[in-house]
Amino acid sequence: MTKSNNAIEVKNMYKDFKLIYDKPNTLKERLVFWKSTKKEYRSVLKNININIKKGETVALIGTNGSGKSTLLKLMTKIIYPTKGTIKTNGKLTSLLELGAGFHPDFTGRENIYFNASIFGLTASEIDKRVDDIIKFSELEEFIDAPVRTYSSGMYMRLAFSVAINVDAEILLIDEILAVGDQHFQDKCFEKLEQLKSSGKTIVIVSHSLGSVKKLCNRGIWIYDGEVRLDGNIDDVVSEYLKVCG
Amino acid sequence: MFKEIYNYRELLKSNVKKEIRGKYKGSFLGVLWSFVNPLLMTLVYAIVFPFILKNSQEHYVTFLITGIIPWTFFTTCVCQGTNTVLINGGIIKKVYFPREILPISVVTSALVNFLISCLIIFIFLIFSGIGFSFNILFLPFIILIQYILQLGIVLITSAIDVYIRDAEYIINFLVQMLFYATPVLYSSSLFPEKIRWLLNLNPMTQIIDGYRDVLFFKQMPNLQWLGFVFVISVVILGLGIVIFKKLEKGFAEEV
Repeated sequence: MTKSNNAIEVKNMYKDFKLIYDKPNTLKERLVFWKSTKKEYRSVLKNININIKKGETVALIGTNGSGKSTLLKLMTKIIYPTKGTIKTNGKLTSLLELGAGFHPDFTGRENIYFNASIFGLTASEIDKRVDDIIKFSELEEFIDAPVRTYSSGMYMRLAFSVAINVDAEILLIDEILAVGDQHFQDKCFEKLEQLKSSGKTIVIVSHSLGSVKKLCNRGIWIYDGEVRLDGNIDDVVSEYLKVCG
Repeated sequence: MFKEIYNYRELLKSNVKKEIRGKYKGSFLGVLWSFVNPLLMTLVYAIVFPFILKNSQEHYVTFLITGIIPWTFFTTCVCQGTNTVLINGGIIKKVYFPREILPISVVTSALVNFLISCLIIFIFLIFSGIGFSFNILFLPFIILIQYILQLGIVLITSAIDVYIRDAEYIINFLVQMLFYATPVLYSSSLFPEKIRWLLNLNPMTQIIDGYRDVLFFKQMPNLQWLGFVFVISVVILGLGIVIFKKLEKGFAEEV
């Protein structure tokens, strides 16, 4: 057997979410509404089978609520499948939401350390990258000021710079290409292109079909919790636009 | 699991730092509060108790301090630890990291605070003229037992608290009750012989007595009992890991 060269393997995967109309959080509510809690399950993803090879750049497209982001969350192991399996192979970083774990009272530099450590980097690994991160964020002037004094644009720039410089083998990105001004967006895009050509696996959830078309070579259209189409990005996007556009 | 936590050691480190520094951010005395608190508690008990109880304990203030500071270590761990997963819900929803890091960093930051507070105990021991003996060498062993016990408890309570929010209040109440069922204010030998077994059901009894023995009475701790509590603590830790592992899969959906 040769070693599998799949970065992500999703097999017969189902995900249900519990839908509770009035969630009993306390013991009292649990006791009072012992029987009347309505529990309904809504299946968000149904029988998903996807293999993503190492070095592929994949775009997940689909309408709101179709389950794209849920699929991404499952891949990062934030939530777990109800049935079936998901296997990932290699160091993984997800950019689901920027600035997770930023502490407003700490300085930009301290937050770089904190944020990067959430991605599983050690102190010496962060030391090596910290200058690159600061340079990429273009926040040299403000890096030793507390993050609470940052504007939202600066905040995002810092967060994106950390995440993009982690050097993961698999990168999961959820609709965050729209960070900062045009200049910074172009820079992010360039960096993603560079990561792509260095053989990283990238999975992007996005609605900006134009940029996705440029960056990715494979598209997966998720419709109502199921894979509707999987193939070359141009074909998938044009088919998607025909139906939903 | 252990390998993964090791890989994320930097997160653990910065989390501990954040717990210690972030907690008193903006207050005038800052980190000093974690020492002022047990000192004030000691002051109150030292004033009040000799009046109520017939107190024959020599060096009562030092006696109190050797019990209250380890007890504070216990309460800060359990009370803060119980809602640590809930408090960090925002980040749990956004990023993957080994969730065990959260309870571990609460217990570890409390340990750091406790180790520094031990200086206060030493100061009291010196100035009351009690001094030290070789039995102090047992101290790391007792601290280790307490750490394991607390980590086990916090793993269990923090995971349950996500699903049943009352856990926090119940635990707070239980900890307060336990304070009186632990020989912190009194010596366990004062407890009537007949119901002494009740006191021994509480693992904290042996731990506090252990601290007292090696620091205050300068004698060998009861190794048999401590060994027993050590085994219990390891069992609780094992149980904690199992429960936490089982419940953590739903954290992101429940918080």
